[in-house]
Amino acid sequence: MSTSNWRRPSVLIRAVAFTSGLAIVLAACGGGRTDTPNTGGSPNSGAIKTAACTTDPTKATVTGDTITLGTSLPLSGIYSAFKGILDGQTAYFDYLNKDLGGVKVAGKKYQIKLEVKDDAYAAEKTVANVQSLIDSNVFGLFSVVGTKNNLAIRDQVNEDCVPNLLAATGSPAWGNSKYPWLLGTFLVPYPDEMKALVDYLKVNQPKATIAVLRANDDFGGAYSETLTSLVKGTGLKVIKVAGYDPETPDTRSQITTLAATKADVLVIGGALLACPDALKNVATSGWRPTTYMSGTCTSKTLMTIAGDAGNDVLTVLPLMDPLNPIFASSPAATLYRAKIAQYVPTADAGSGLVAYGWTAGAMLQKILEDSPKLTRLSVMETARSFTASGIGLMPMGSKFSTNIKNDWFLGEQFMLVKYSTSKGYFSPIGPAIDFNGKTSSFTPKALIDG
Amino acid sequence: MNALNNKSRLIGIVTGIAVLGYLILFPQQHSASEVRLWTTAIYIGIAAMGLNLLTGYNGQVSIGHGAFYGIGAYTSAILVSEHGWSYLATIPTAAALAFLVGVTIGVPALRVKGLYLALVTLGLAVVFPDITKKFVHGVGGTNLVRVSRLDLAAPSWVPAKAAALDQWGYYLTLTIALILLLGIWLIVRGRFGRALIAVRDHEAAATTVGVNLARTKVLAFALSAAYAGIAGALSVQVTGLANAEKIGTFNLSILFLVAVVIGGTATVFGPLIGGFLVVMIQSATSDFVANPPIFTSFFSGKEVLSPALFGILLIAFMYFMPDGIMGAVRRSYRQLEKIVNKAPSKK
Repeated sequence: MSTSNWRRPSVLIRAVAFTSGLAIVLAACGGGRTDTPNTGGSPNSGAIKTAACTTDPTKATVTGDTITLGTSLPLSGIYSAFKGILDGQTAYFDYLNKDLGGVKVAGKKYQIKLEVKDDAYAAEKTVANVQSLIDSNVFGLFSVVGTKNNLAIRDQVNEDCVPNLLAATGSPAWGNSKYPWLLGTFLVPYPDEMKALVDYLKVNQPKATIAVLRANDDFGGAYSETLTSLVKGTGLKVIKVAGYDPETPDTRSQITTLAATKADVLVIGGALLACPDALKNVATSGWRPTTYMSGTCTSKTLMTIAGDAGNDVLTVLPLMDPLNPIFASSPAATLYRAKIAQYVPTADAGSGLVAYGWTAGAMLQKILEDSPKLTRLSVMETARSFTASGIGLMPMGSKFSTNIKNDWFLGEQFMLVKYSTSKGYFSPIGPAIDFNGKTSSFTPKALIDG
Repeated sequence: MNALNNKSRLIGIVTGIAVLGYLILFPQQHSASEVRLWTTAIYIGIAAMGLNLLTGYNGQVSIGHGAFYGIGAYTSAILVSEHGWSYLATIPTAAALAFLVGVTIGVPALRVKGLYLALVTLGLAVVFPDITKKFVHGVGGTNLVRVSRLDLAAPSWVPAKAAALDQWGYYLTLTIALILLLGIWLIVRGRFGRALIAVRDHEAAATTVGVNLARTKVLAFALSAAYAGIAGALSVQVTGLANAEKIGTFNLSILFLVAVVIGGTATVFGPLIGGFLVVMIQSATSDFVANPPIFTSFFSGKEVLSPALFGILLIAFMYFMPDGIMGAVRRSYRQLEKIVNKAPSKK
């Protein structure tokens, strides 16, 4: 093109050019991005090594009077029922902040703020949520829901040395000592459930044959593999294991297969809707085994779905059943119901998930208050060696404890309970079970280190 | 008419340079979370570009491209975490593997078309997570494969300004997106592109003028699979993992299709813009429901409504822009041009 042919651009082109230039200028404006260099942590003589940390966990990161924590859980999608946990936590933190004035750490009171993100139970979304939460400089993570979701983030929290407290799953993987920055919750570890069941059967049905329905994932595997390991050398025998797809909790064909074995005992290593579905399918099959159901299914909603089929089902509870009149009149349960009604009136105080969330909030308060300093390292070291009793809805005399040297599991004290359809709640069927410090000894090593 | 084309081209070039300038400067000015979100939007756009080649230009409908994306993600994650490969080297490998699987799926797909082909590809999306659960041994006995951030870090030759993990991922994804965009542009203007369109519009007529029907269809399937595979491999840099769930894989497949339709089928830039928009709308609706600026009491605690809100917005989009963003842009440009041309000249 020769210069003699050049013509002044039209109004439209000039407008586009001006807008484009403006866009670039706007992109360049805004003060620029300043990344905080990763200085690494100071080597310390404590039990948790910090030299490889990408941020220094010995520094105080809370500057004002609010401790901000982050969480990620399914609030949409088929697992959105877990929102009950958040309802319980919200009520507890409102009670803590407004009624008690906050949590006292190293002599100073702080308000607790929880940044909540929805992951629809998808591990990729949990990763994105957690990256975003860590970028926004939360003090730590709290009650992230789901085994796979926590597995997806545990490398990052380990590298960044960000406390991931009370991860809401009972996976035995939280006993892996390579990951000190992830503390599992006080849900009964799944292998402990199987140990309690085997001990019960050895007394009550010592020659029982056992059929297992399990979710086709690590969660279901924790049940079936521990059970298979524990029955060795006893009169008990696992005769059939059937897996179902955890994304489509339809168990009809699996229950038909298991019913054909006429086993004396059925173990349901499933979660949420798979539990009532399996119970109903068993009831219609005509098979009448002693049925044990995962402790993750102890929800009023799920038992209501199961209806009469849920009668006499065995399971475990680490906390008081808020519907059981034995506990209902206790000061802890009274306070719980009153504060749920006051701060989250839409929540169902009779739900085990809400009760769990409430107690998790109280447990977090205990960990923070026990910490001598408000640094990530101090809080994590406290969480790794602490004892809690009389917290939230913990039963009287119950104790949850950890020890950084030899005990990485919290919920090792619990009750074996039986559901009554006519009463509408779970009742203990024996003394409290105490496996404190023993989980690692009877859990297949691959489940912890895998 | 020629002058009009030249003017349009000039406007396109100026706009393109401006957009590119903005994109290049973006990671220098925004937080790591925002940069990762934009990176996600770009690689979803890449998968949509590939699907557009198949659906928009060639008329074959697939709702199983989430599986090819998964193949790319797993290839990259496994090669890096278990075999010590350099991350960069895994991207072409992921593309090649997805291409081969695309050929494998494309050959039997020759016998079916339309809704039946959609069902075949749906089967692929459904079965893929089960295959990974059987054959992938990831963390904690799951099909989740984690990659250390150290293995995903920028190579030493990357300038410090672009070397933060999120920035490196962004620039890498953007660069690859531009190369692939150029690839689509060249394809649709070439002999193969004309063959794709001919097959879409009239198979019998295309055959009579010498188009090899089978080769064209299979190659379209394989190329679109390779694009999805590359998107999957790029996702590993952002998420640090490969994972597959039934609902997730299916949702992703639908998301790619939605991106193509929103952006504009059979357009070069449309799917990239569509991919960008669906990711941004999804993120915005999620944030809106979580922290509603209006109707606070209605939305409070109802995150479960987020996908519904996303769906409503998509429906609204399609109502007002039935031919996608690119169609709307074309129409707006013509209208604007009419207005400008009617305006009295100063001369």
